[in-house]
Amino acid sequence: MNRKTIFILLALFLLPIILRFAWYFPGFYLPQKIETPDYANLKMPQAPVSTPQPEEIKQTGGIVFADYSHANQFQPGEIQTLSDALARRGASLELNTDSTTLESQLKRASAYVIISPSIGFTADETRIILDFERRGGRLAVFTDATRGLIYSDSFSGTTANFPDSNIVNPLLKSFDISFDNDYLYNLTDNEGNFRNVFFEQFGKSDLTWGLKKVVLYGARSVKTDSGLGLLVGGDKTFSSQTDAAPNNDSKQGWAASALSADGNVLAVGDFTFMQTPFNTVADNNILVNNIADFLLSGRRKIALSDFPYVFNGSTASLLMTANVQMTAEMTGALSRLQSKLNTLSIDMQVSQSAPESGNLVVLGTFSPSEDLTKYIESYNLTLDDASEFIEIPQFGKLGRAGNGLVLFKAGQNGTTLVLLADTTDDLVVLMDTLSGGSLSGCVIQNDIAICSIGFGGKFSTGETPTPDGTPTPAAGAG
Amino acid sequence: MKNFEIPPQERSRFLWWAIPALIIGVLFSLLIPKPVIGVIRLNDAIYASTAKELIAQIAYARQHPEIRAVVLILDSPGGTVVDTEAVYMELARLRMEKPVITWVSGMAASGAYYLSSGTDYVVAVPSSEVGNVGVIGYLPPSPFIFEDIISTGPYKLWGSPRDTTVREIEMLKQGFYQAVKLGRGDRLKIGPDTLLRGQIWPGSEALRLGLVDQLGSETDAYNRAARMARIWNFDTKDLYNAAIYGSTANVYGFFLQTKEGVTLPYPSRPGLYMLYIPPLPVEQK
Repeated sequence: MNRKTIFILLALFLLPIILRFAWYFPGFYLPQKIETPDYANLKMPQAPVSTPQPEEIKQTGGIVFADYSHANQFQPGEIQTLSDALARRGASLELNTDSTTLESQLKRASAYVIISPSIGFTADETRIILDFERRGGRLAVFTDATRGLIYSDSFSGTTANFPDSNIVNPLLKSFDISFDNDYLYNLTDNEGNFRNVFFEQFGKSDLTWGLKKVVLYGARSVKTDSGLGLLVGGDKTFSSQTDAAPNNDSKQGWAASALSADGNVLAVGDFTFMQTPFNTVADNNILVNNIADFLLSGRRKIALSDFPYVFNGSTASLLMTANVQMTAEMTGALSRLQSKLNTLSIDMQVSQSAPESGNLVVLGTFSPSEDLTKYIESYNLTLDDASEFIEIPQFGKLGRAGNGLVLFKAGQNGTTLVLLADTTDDLVVLMDTLSGGSLSGCVIQNDIAICSIGFGGKFSTGETPTPDGTPTPAAGAG
Repeated sequence: MKNFEIPPQERSRFLWWAIPALIIGVLFSLLIPKPVIGVIRLNDAIYASTAKELIAQIAYARQHPEIRAVVLILDSPGGTVVDTEAVYMELARLRMEKPVITWVSGMAASGAYYLSSGTDYVVAVPSSEVGNVGVIGYLPPSPFIFEDIISTGPYKLWGSPRDTTVREIEMLKQGFYQAVKLGRGDRLKIGPDTLLRGQIWPGSEALRLGLVDQLGSETDAYNRAARMARIWNFDTKDLYNAAIYGSTANVYGFFLQTKEGVTLPYPSRPGLYMLYIPPLPVEQK
């Protein structure tokens, strides 16, 4: 065989191989380099360093009540940092577990705190809270997007969500504040998770003093027209309801906290930031301290209806005017009143002369002495020994027998209570009424309370006061 | 032409050699295997046993040269993070040698999309569900101690602090995002702002967003795989029967079951998941 033949044979041999190869493989797949994530260099995001708490803390004292009677979705331990911050200011945080005691408790409260309730407030409770705020009490309302109540019905397979925002919004309506039923998130700049949102824009307020960066954890957005947005998110912070900035305007930011126009109502869409360890992130601890200051710095106007919580400070003087006799019964009544005030941490001392300032309890009769006059002249009472009646503006004529008067005056330097009755014996009964801890048997109108104390002279349990003794407000009295 | 003429006397002798050469050539050509597109199906969540099966099939595809490409057929809500990553890394090794194409037949959500983003090309049914990029996890309880259980550290019983778990989930999410970004490259038309919202999109919308490359059928996926592998006239082969020997019964039920036997869409064990959990009907009060 020559070379030519060999080539032909070789071609014949290769032909089916080439044909088959070509039948199946029109080309070649070139191996490629595949990139995968750089797992080794993935790092867990770290929390911003905590800012230390303020060094100087003003001892303001006070009592803050936290609502715990509306199936509130928190455990007391979760607000321990707030409780501690209040304690450092000489104040205490107490839980209100029975809404029927709300009114009496708010009498001595600096502030009322509501956290994630799941039962609505009754009209009466709302009235009490609004009245408390109107007189200068501080109100702080916290909701939390992670604390809504969820009921699952295994029978129907449906789930119902009861967000806390629906509970508090009717209450906050009066203050032009409302929570959205949403949560805020930021996908690009967050504290370890999209729902842990940084806040670096702050409304100008004592509540935001010293803040540079705050982190809230699953916060609801807060809206107010007349009030002030306190914690405002960045342009990439969105609401879960719209997945966008407010009104789709990236220049605006969602607020997670707001202050009412009168400065007495604080609304915050999260309270996780107060919990350990989240309170130690960024400036959260400063915010907790600022909130504690806010709760204790209300200018609450004390009213006679707040009795017995009408005194500021821890001391009170008692002045007996000339017509009051120090009988054995009076000694007993003084002792009981002193004991009552002691339970309120107020030390009452009998004084021979009127102190220039401080709390004062003045005892007198309807037959005024000179030393009593200066305490009652502003009330324009008409006290005439010849008459069986005394005359009180707003009330009209009042029988001397069986009635006692409590006159109230609150000043910056202390509170003055003037107790008046027809005789020393009646005054003893009036003092015992007050030692009972309330003015429930009294008609209260502004700064004057008229108390039925029996039937002239000695208190008589078996008889009813005469109609003459019942106070009758004058027409048009307001 | 004259040079190639074979004298008549040598013609029979030539044929004597030519025919065997041709026959031998034909026989040798049969040694060239018919190209096969391997088919790997995932119709379940990704967890220990399904991941084991997937990895076995991927290994089979790598080890068998006749398998020139692989089509991964997905109808899965995803699964555990660790199993998803394990399968993803095996797929990456396979892709260095052979093209891998995904066909989303029903759902490629979360961890399943993680896998598909690690393939060369994604074909999806228009109404399929694609996306849900992100991680979901259960936080461990805050640590406490028992009278009768002694451990040697505060997290021996609980694994890790709750806050650390949150950050770990964020880190895993970054890995997921990197995988999608690397896998999709310039084809991805959305940024992290949109992608990481965890939204699930229909296939047609996923195409617009660059999460998939084409809307089409299973056949389209095979044809695409053949084109990328540069093969014609291929066979398909379901790799499950070829690669899985014996029973690979589930170690445990992945999804939670009620006492009545109803399977819920929640994992039966706490952990970290790349899993799509469909929403329950929730009524706002």
